[in-house]
Amino acid sequence: MIDPKLASAAETFTLQCVINKRPVSVDVPPAKRLLCILREDLHLTGTKRSCDIGRCGACMVLVDGKPVNSCLTMAYQCQGKNITTIEGLAADGALNRVQKCFLEEGGYQCGYCTPGMIVTVTALLNKNPEPSMAEIEEALSGNLCRCTGYGGIIRSVLKAAEQGGRRHAGRHESA
Amino acid sequence: MPLNRTTSGDRWRVRPDGPDKVTGRLPYLTDLSLPGMLHGRVLRSPYPHARIVSIRTEKAKAIPGVCAVLTSADVPGLNRFGIARPDQPVFCEDRVRFIGDAVAAVAAETEALAAYALTQIEVDYEPLPVVDDPESALSPDSVKLFEHGNVLHRSDYGCGDVEAGFAACRHIVEETYSTPRQMHTYMETEGGLFVPEPNGRLTVYAPTQHGFMDRMQLARILNRPEADIRVVSSPIGGSFGGKDELNVQPYGALLALACGRPVKLHNSRWESVRAGLKRHPMKITMKTGTDEHGRLLAHQVRIVSDAGPYSTLSAEVLNFAVEHVIGPYRFGAVKVESVSVFTNNGMSGEFRGFGGNQAIFALEGQMDRLAEKLGIDPWTFRLMNMRQPGDPGPLGQPIAQTDGARQVWEALADCRLWKEKAAAGNRSETRPPWIKTGYGAALVMHGAGLGVGIPDPAGGRLTLAGDGKIEAAFGYEEFGQGLIASLEQMLIEQFGFDAQDLRIVIGDTDAVPDSGSSTASRATSMMWQALKRLHPPFATALRKQASRALGVGMEKLVLGRGGIRDAESGSLLISYGELAKTASEPIVAETKFAYPTSPVDRVGAHYLYTYASVAVKVEVNTLTGRVKLLDQFHAVAAGPVVNPQGYLGQIEGGSGMALGFALTEDAVMDKGMYLTRNLDTYLIPTIAELSGGFEVLPIEELPEGDKHGPRGVGEIGSVGLAPAIAAAVHDAVGKRVNKLPIDPALLLEKPVFLNKAVEWR
Repeated sequence: MIDPKLASAAETFTLQCVINKRPVSVDVPPAKRLLCILREDLHLTGTKRSCDIGRCGACMVLVDGKPVNSCLTMAYQCQGKNITTIEGLAADGALNRVQKCFLEEGGYQCGYCTPGMIVTVTALLNKNPEPSMAEIEEALSGNLCRCTGYGGIIRSVLKAAEQGGRRHAGRHESA
Repeated sequence: MPLNRTTSGDRWRVRPDGPDKVTGRLPYLTDLSLPGMLHGRVLRSPYPHARIVSIRTEKAKAIPGVCAVLTSADVPGLNRFGIARPDQPVFCEDRVRFIGDAVAAVAAETEALAAYALTQIEVDYEPLPVVDDPESALSPDSVKLFEHGNVLHRSDYGCGDVEAGFAACRHIVEETYSTPRQMHTYMETEGGLFVPEPNGRLTVYAPTQHGFMDRMQLARILNRPEADIRVVSSPIGGSFGGKDELNVQPYGALLALACGRPVKLHNSRWESVRAGLKRHPMKITMKTGTDEHGRLLAHQVRIVSDAGPYSTLSAEVLNFAVEHVIGPYRFGAVKVESVSVFTNNGMSGEFRGFGGNQAIFALEGQMDRLAEKLGIDPWTFRLMNMRQPGDPGPLGQPIAQTDGARQVWEALADCRLWKEKAAAGNRSETRPPWIKTGYGAALVMHGAGLGVGIPDPAGGRLTLAGDGKIEAAFGYEEFGQGLIASLEQMLIEQFGFDAQDLRIVIGDTDAVPDSGSSTASRATSMMWQALKRLHPPFATALRKQASRALGVGMEKLVLGRGGIRDAESGSLLISYGELAKTASEPIVAETKFAYPTSPVDRVGAHYLYTYASVAVKVEVNTLTGRVKLLDQFHAVAAGPVVNPQGYLGQIEGGSGMALGFALTEDAVMDKGMYLTRNLDTYLIPTIAELSGGFEVLPIEELPEGDKHGPRGVGEIGSVGLAPAIAAAVHDAVGKRVNKLPIDPALLLEKPVFLNKAVEWR
């Protein structure tokens, strides 16, 4: 005697999207949260579960380049989308600029908020290579960290922006 | 020199656990899964206080896909847990005492099914009156949570005659300070994977701060030998004391054994809020007086601590608070009375700072108020009354002597922020009139280790393993503080190893010695002391083996990067891998000792102390009542900096938590019910609140001949900020804060232009 709500949730559809540059096809209930699809069906556990209500940012992923809380994103909303998780930010074993800066500046402690934090910062710097402090604060206001007091995170972001900014300025000049 | 990456030079290292953390590759214990695993859920009480009339599990058990439904009848051993005093039921038998109390647990094929099964467990409750105020819980006519009453623990301390002291006082300040029910808010909620092994053992993959303590408690609950349980407990997504006590482990273990299949549990945030520990809300009443010169003559304190329904470490936290309400000052006479009270509120327990945060907020508030009465600069007033070298500790106990208090006092007096404060006095205001800035400071003396009378073992093991790795095995946990990085750095700097030579093993009761808990700012100190003890025997054993293998005198051999090297030229003579092959058995050195304690019989009294001073600059907006932290300075006297990145991170991170304690955090309860369930209403600081200036000045100098090395820094960063902010708020707007978090309503002022508008109409 299964609850009817559960029974209807068991109806599945085929989610077809691109995750970390690989085409994915997975049969899931249409309302299943992307967070759970990533962690349970695809075993991409770098995306973390913490608040489940889109407040903490630990589950942040990129959907078509924009940072979204995967705990608030349902399967049907991902149909045909291009999704990037922490595992897909850099090619096999490499680190992107933001990851490198977090590593060098110590922008993490327990590391549980770190994947979401790095996804958000990557999105920020892609959109705005030279953010002001106010823009950094706004962009990261949805990513909570309980360990660092944000000191190391701020240093990491500023360094990544500085490095990217220089490169960006260079490209600008040559163009 | 301020501590940062530049001033740290080569000592600023990438953490060994860093690459896996920034790539998301690191498997946390709540990330684990196994084929065929079941999902566990716990049924918790909907009432803060009720009698259980009946529990019927038949309907839940009959659901296809539900593999086990357990209640108190299914606990083979002790149906209780609690590190110090096991009085918390695994499953309540006939009475629930808070809304986190567990009544039953289920394991099912899917999480949704497990959740559904919970709704099919029928429990009849008979609600009882809720005891939600610790003060009234103490009255003789209060409803009692236990037969023995509502008093969990009392701790008193007295020295000298306070009545005579007050009689001689020229100035007396009386105040009651209240502190909030702060939540640890580790980002990874409690959870884990519980695996019955084919050989009959049970493997528990679940975060904790002391794997061996969990193993002991689980053995007691499961009624099986400790040797039949393996606890794997790191890495951990934050703990701050909150995962020190058992949480989901009893349920995961019982369900896995009942089903003979792996079971996973992972608390939702709401379940974490309702069942998890919080910082003890305390009411601290202080009466403190001085003579006409400002000398402290008498100090009388009463502490009432809300423990919630069960013990965990509430008694120990209270003892700590008693010690720290006396702190770094000389008083003519002291009298402290304190009580920790059972209530039907949420569970209170161990939390970074361990009662020091509440105590020092109150104590420093008294210092500021007295200085104001005397017309003396508050920082000078502290120096006038500070304990002197050679003085005993707060409870009159002998302590390891350092000059920490004076050192951090001077550092603050000399810091940029304090000079800015002096200069600011003469500057004209350019901001809008409703923005007021102020400066404040606080002094902290914080004990480390578990203290007198509590087993506080330490130890570790170094091995040249068969594969040539230098294996360092310690029974400590990595919850983010950088323990692995600190251990690696000490092995490199003290022994000359290369990072590549090392394999660090922690957080697995099958693989490590019991080194005691990773709590009480003790782990780095104990690793340092263990390595000091291990260095001579281990280095000698390695050199002896190399001498045998190479036919070279031991005196010509030293440990180095990659292997044994020629003492003079430094050239590599034999790698550790080759050296391991020449040995018939692994070369091992092991040490066991205990955290140093004071030779007194006062339970909980500390021997090693860290000192800190904190200066802040804040901005108060009197239109909104909001306080913004603009700048911070922290001087910390804790001996040598073991790991610069970790040290800085502990002070920055501790301070970040303290900002929440001061300004926004309180897990508000009403009649035993939490009014906050998640991070939308429980507000921890975001990056926007913590983007101000920050400077940490470590004071590394210790007295000549000091044998204790680095003191703990894990907690002290979380202690001094709140009283410093309270002082700065007073400096800005002239209002005294006695309750945290600071209520914006207290700081609201009717703006002058509103008056004009009304007059004009």
